[in-house]
Amino acid sequence: MTGVIDQIGGMLAQAGYPAPMSVLTLSHYLFVSAAMFTLGMVGFLTRRNLIIMFLCTEMMFQAAGIALIAASRFWLNHTGQSFVIFVLTVAAAEAAMALALVVLLFRKRESLSAEEWAEMKG
Amino acid sequence: MQSVARSRARRAGSRGPQIRGSSLSEVINPFVLYAGIALGAVGVLLALPRKRINPQVLGALIGAVALGVVLVGLGVRAGASDALPNIYFYVFSAIALGSCLRVITHQRPVYAALYFILAILASSGLYLILSAEFMAFALIIIYAGAILITYLFVIMLATEAPSEEELDRLADYDAVAREPMVATGVGFVLLAVLTTMLFSGASQLPAPESFASTASGDAVLRDLPGAVEKALRRAGLMEDGEAIARDADGRPRIDPVQRVAWVGLIGEDPASGEPVVVNVRQVSWPDDLHANNVQALAYDFLNRHPGTIEIAGVILLMAMLGAVVLSRRQVELDEEAKARQARHLHVEEPA
Amino acid sequence: MHNLAGPLSQVASSADVGVPAQGPAWASLIVFLPLLACALCGVCAIVPAMRRTKLPAWITVALLGVSFVLTVLLYQDVSAGEHAKTVLVTSWEWFHLSWGDAPGQQFVASFGFYIDSLTVLWMLFVTGLATLIALYASEYMSHDVGLGYCRFFAAFSLFVFSMACLVMGDNLLLLYLGWEGVGLCSYLLIGYFYNEAGAVAAAKKAFIMNRIGDLGLALGIMLTFWHFGTIQYAELFPLVAPYVEALKAGDIGQIPLVVQAIPLLLMVGAFGKSAQLPLYVWLPDAMWGPTPVSALIHAATMVTAGVYLIARTYPLFAVSELALPIVAWVGTLTALLSATIAMAQFDIKRIMAYSTVSQLGYMFAGLGFLTSTGAAFHVFTHAFFKASLFLCCGAVMHGFAGQLDLRRLSGVSFMKGWGIVGIAMLIGCLNLAGFPLTAGFFSKDMILAEAFVTPGPGYALAGWILLVTAGLTAYYTFRVFFRVFVGPQHAEPGDEVHAHDGHDAHFHPHAPGWAINSVLAILAVASILAAGTYFIEKEQHGWVGKMVHGSTAAEIVVGEGEHAVRAAAFRHDLVGEHAIHGESHEPAGDHATPEEAGGSSIAHGSFLGMDPHAVMYYVSSLFGIAGILTAAYLHGPRGLFGLFIGSRTEAATSRADALVPALGPLVQWARHKWYVDELYDFLIVKPLWVLSHIFHLIDQLLIDGLVDLMGRLPSIGGRSIRPSQSGVLHGYAVGMASGLAFLLLLVWLLTL
Repeated sequence: MTGVIDQIGGMLAQAGYPAPMSVLTLSHYLFVSAAMFTLGMVGFLTRRNLIIMFLCTEMMFQAAGIALIAASRFWLNHTGQSFVIFVLTVAAAEAAMALALVVLLFRKRESLSAEEWAEMKG
Repeated sequence: MQSVARSRARRAGSRGPQIRGSSLSEVINPFVLYAGIALGAVGVLLALPRKRINPQVLGALIGAVALGVVLVGLGVRAGASDALPNIYFYVFSAIALGSCLRVITHQRPVYAALYFILAILASSGLYLILSAEFMAFALIIIYAGAILITYLFVIMLATEAPSEEELDRLADYDAVAREPMVATGVGFVLLAVLTTMLFSGASQLPAPESFASTASGDAVLRDLPGAVEKALRRAGLMEDGEAIARDADGRPRIDPVQRVAWVGLIGEDPASGEPVVVNVRQVSWPDDLHANNVQALAYDFLNRHPGTIEIAGVILLMAMLGAVVLSRRQVELDEEAKARQARHLHVEEPA
Repeated sequence: MHNLAGPLSQVASSADVGVPAQGPAWASLIVFLPLLACALCGVCAIVPAMRRTKLPAWITVALLGVSFVLTVLLYQDVSAGEHAKTVLVTSWEWFHLSWGDAPGQQFVASFGFYIDSLTVLWMLFVTGLATLIALYASEYMSHDVGLGYCRFFAAFSLFVFSMACLVMGDNLLLLYLGWEGVGLCSYLLIGYFYNEAGAVAAAKKAFIMNRIGDLGLALGIMLTFWHFGTIQYAELFPLVAPYVEALKAGDIGQIPLVVQAIPLLLMVGAFGKSAQLPLYVWLPDAMWGPTPVSALIHAATMVTAGVYLIARTYPLFAVSELALPIVAWVGTLTALLSATIAMAQFDIKRIMAYSTVSQLGYMFAGLGFLTSTGAAFHVFTHAFFKASLFLCCGAVMHGFAGQLDLRRLSGVSFMKGWGIVGIAMLIGCLNLAGFPLTAGFFSKDMILAEAFVTPGPGYALAGWILLVTAGLTAYYTFRVFFRVFVGPQHAEPGDEVHAHDGHDAHFHPHAPGWAINSVLAILAVASILAAGTYFIEKEQHGWVGKMVHGSTAAEIVVGEGEHAVRAAAFRHDLVGEHAIHGESHEPAGDHATPEEAGGSSIAHGSFLGMDPHAVMYYVSSLFGIAGILTAAYLHGPRGLFGLFIGSRTEAATSRADALVPALGPLVQWARHKWYVDELYDFLIVKPLWVLSHIFHLIDQLLIDGLVDLMGRLPSIGGRSIRPSQSGVLHGYAVGMASGLAFLLLLVWLLTL
C-alpha cells in the first residue's frame, strides 16, 4: 500500500510531463474511454428511471474526459485538460437543468419513468 | 495530409518509442478485439436487471473476462514494444468499468449513484497516472463532491414514499431494463466501430512535437519569471539584489530549451533613472526546476481559452436561471381565490 | 360588253396592291350597335318593369335598323368610285404577341374591319334581314313576353354582332370569334325552348357538329399563320398573290403543299357551318328553335358564313388543286340528297330546312364551279326568299298552334287575314322553284350554266345532277304550297293549343298581325326586286357580280380581253397551255353574257353541243316548270276553280299515295332521311359510346387507381413507420446511437 502512495507521490513530484507516451499505451486508455462510453449509452438506452438515464449521460461525459486527458498526456499538451474543465462545466449545467426537470416531471406524474412522457403533443 | 503526418511521425520517431503501423492489427489482433467486445455485450446483456431470473453475477463475470481479453490483447502488442501502461491503469480501469457496469445494472438509484461516485474516483486515479493531478482532484471535488450529491438529493426527493407493508418495493421502471437486446446490440456495435476507428487511427497518429519546445510544459516558465527566480534563489544561484534580466521588449531572458536564465544586479539607468539589470550573467536551471501541472494548466486555460471561459460562464448562468424557473412551484389562483386572498389581506391590515 | 375581262383582271390584280385606305370610323358602329342592343336586353331582363313589356324587341329593332342604315351609308362610301374600294377600320389592337423581329414572329390581330364590296354585300342583307326579322319576332314571340323575350332578343342581337364580326373582321381570328359567336347564339336559340328535350338535343347536336367543322377552321387559321406569318387579310392577300401569279403562269409546281392544304382545312369549317355533307344533319334539327331564328340564322345568314369564308379566302382556294372540286362535288351531292329528303317530309318547316341545305349545296357548287358571283348572288336572293318562306311557315305555325304537318292544313291562303302570307309564300315558292324571271331563277341559273362551262372533274355530271335537283326542288316546294296554301280551307290545331290559348281548350286560329304581315310584304317585294339587281350592272353579271368582282372573292382571270379565262389550280393544263400559247383562241365566254358567248372552245364545256350560257335559261325553266306541274298533278287542286275552293284533299292525296308503292322503299328511305342519322349513330355515336365506357373504366380503374394509390402511399407509409415514433425517449436514443454507429462505420470505410 505504501508502495502505491510512493509511486503516485513520485508521479506527482514529476510536476511537468514525463517522457512521451506510446500510441500503444494511449490505446489502452482510449479503450477504457470507449468502453465506459458504451456502458453509458447502454445504460441510457435500457434504464427507464430518468435520474439513472441522466447519470448515464454523466458517465458518457466522464468517458470523454478520460479520452481528453489521455490525449493531453499523449500530446504533452494541456489543452486536453482545459477541455475537461469545460466538460465539467457543461456537465454541471446539464445536471442542474436535468435535475430541475426531473423534479418538475416527478411533481406532475409521481413517477420517474421516462415512458410516462410519451405523448407527442401538448 | 496523411503522408505529411506520417513523415512527421518518422522524423519524431528518432526520439521516443517507435510509432509505426497503419492498421488496427498493429494495436490489437482484431479477432481478439471483436471477440472481447462480443463477450462484453453478452456479459452486459446478462447483467442488466430483469424480473425473474437475474444472472447479474454471471454477467459481471463474463464482462470482466471480456475486459481481460481485450486488455490482454492490447497488452500483447504493447508488451512487445515495451509500452505497457502502469499497473495502476489496470486497477483503476477495472474499478471504473466495474462500477460503471454496476451503475447501469443496479436496480436501486441510490446505489447506482454511489457506484458512479466510485467510478469517478477510479477515473481520477486514471487522471493521476496520466499526470493530470489538478483535474484528478477537481474531478473528485466537483463531480463526486457536488454533482453526485445533488443527484443523491434528487433521488431522495423524487421517490415515492414507501408504504408500510412494502418497504423494499422496487419501482417497475427500475426493476426491468427496457429492450436490453436492442440497446446492448446497438451499444456494442458502436463500441466495435469506435474502437476500430480509434485503434486504426491511433496507430497513425503523428508523434507530439519536441518535449521542451511545446507551448506548455516547461516552456511555460519563460512566462513565469517569478517561479524561475524562486527556484534559482532556493538553489543559491541568485544572490540578493539580483534579478532576471529583460530584453528590449521587456520580456524576461529565460530559455526553457537550454534551461538557462540570465540574471544580474539591479542598477539604475544613468539616462532615465529607471531600474535596469546590469552585469548580466548566464545561469543554468537547477535540475528540479519544472513547471508543475497547475502552473501549466492554468497558463493554458487562461491564456488560450479566454473566450471559451466566457461561454462556459454564460452556460452556467443560463443553467442556473433554467433550473430556478423549471423547479419553481407555480401556484395558480383563480379569480375567486385571488379575491378571497385580497379580502383576507384587507381584513388583516387594520389589525 | 366584251371587254369586261379587262377591268376584271385589273380588279383581280388589285387584290395585291398595298395596304387599303382607312375607312370611316363610324363603320365600327355597325358591329357594336347590336352588342349594345344585347346589353340593353340584358338590362331589360334585370329591371322588372321593362321585362314585362316588348321593350327588348323595340330596342333590338331600332339598333339593328340604325346598323342597317349605317351599312347602306357604308355601301355608298365604298362603291362611290368607279371600282369598289377596300377600306380598313381599326377599333383597337386585340392581340399583339411578339417573340422576335423577323417576319412571322409577330402575331397581330386587331379588332378591326376589312371592308370591301363583298363585306358590304353580306352586311347589307345581314343587317337588313335581321332588322326585319326582329320586327317579325316582336310579334311572333309575344307569347313569351318576360324573361324569355329578353333572352331571345339578347341572343338575337348577340348573333348579329357575331355575324358582323365574322363578316367585317379584318383578320381570320376575328372571323373565328364571330364564327364561334354565331355558333354559340345558334346553340342558345335552338335551345330556346329548353324545357323540351328535343330542343336541347338539337341544340347540342348543332353545337357539336359545328365543333367538328370549327376544328378544321382553327387548324386552317393556324396553318395560315404558320406559313404566311399573318392572319390579317390586308397582309395575307399580297402574300398569296405570288402563288396566284404562279397559277396564272401555269407553274403549279411552285405552289407548296402547305398552301394547298390550308383551303382543305378551311373548307371543313365551311362545311360544318353551312351544313354540307357530311356535317349537314344538325340543320334540320335546328328547326326546334323559334321560327324567326330559323329564318335569320338557319336560312339567311349564319349558314351562308361558309360561303362567305370560301369567298373571302377565294385566292387561297383557287391555288389549290383539290379544294374547289371537292367543294363543288360536296355541294352537288348535298343539294341532291337533301332535296330528295325534302320531297318525302311532312313537316313544312323541316322541308324548308332541307331545302336550305339543298340551296346551300348550290352555293357551294357555284363556288366550286369558279363562279363566286353566282354563289354570292344565290346567297343574296336565297336570303330573301328563304327568309320569307320561313316566316310564312312561322306565321302558319304561330296561327295554328304549332301545326306544321302539311297533311293537316289546307287552303290557308283563303282564310281571313292570311292573304299576305299566301302571296308571300307564292312568291317565295316561285323563287325557290326557279320559276322563270324570279331572282332564284337567275341566281340558280348562273351556277347551273357554269357547271357546264367550267371544265373540271366531272362537272358536267354535277351540272346534270343539279338540273335534276332543280326539278325536285320545284316539286317539293310546290307540294307544300299546293297542300297547305290552296285548296279547301281546313286546319287542325297543333299540339301547342294549351300553351298558346291557355284560357280555353278551343282552338282559334289567329291571323298574323301587322308586324308579321308588313315584314312578309317587305320580304316578298325584296325577293322580286332581288331579281332586278341582275339587270343593274349587266356587264358584271348584275349588281351582286359587281360587288363580288370588287373584292377578293373575284374569280382569278388569266389573260386579257378576248382570251380571258378563269383560273384555278386544277385547270393548270389549260392555264399552262394558255400561258405558253398566248395567242390561243379561247373566247371570253364566261364573262360575256350568255347571248354573246358564241362558238365552242376547249375552255368551254358545252351543254348537249350548245353553249350553256345561251340555253341554260330555257333548260332550267323547263326543269323548274316540270317540277311545279308534277306537284300540281300529284298534290294540286283540279282545275282553276279547284285552285280556290275545289275539294283537293282526297283525290290529290290518293294520286300521290298511289305512287308511293310504285317507288318501293325509296320513299320510306327518303322519309327517314336516308337513315343518315342512324348511320352516324351506328358509325360514330355507338363506337364512341362504347369507347367512352371503356375509357371510363380505364379512368376509374387505372387512372383513379393510380391517383388513389398516390394518395394512399403516404398514408400506408405513415402507418408502417408510425410505431417508430412512439414518443418514448429510448426509441429516439436507439435510433440516434445506431445512426451514429452507422455514420462512424461509413466514415471509417471511406477513409480506409
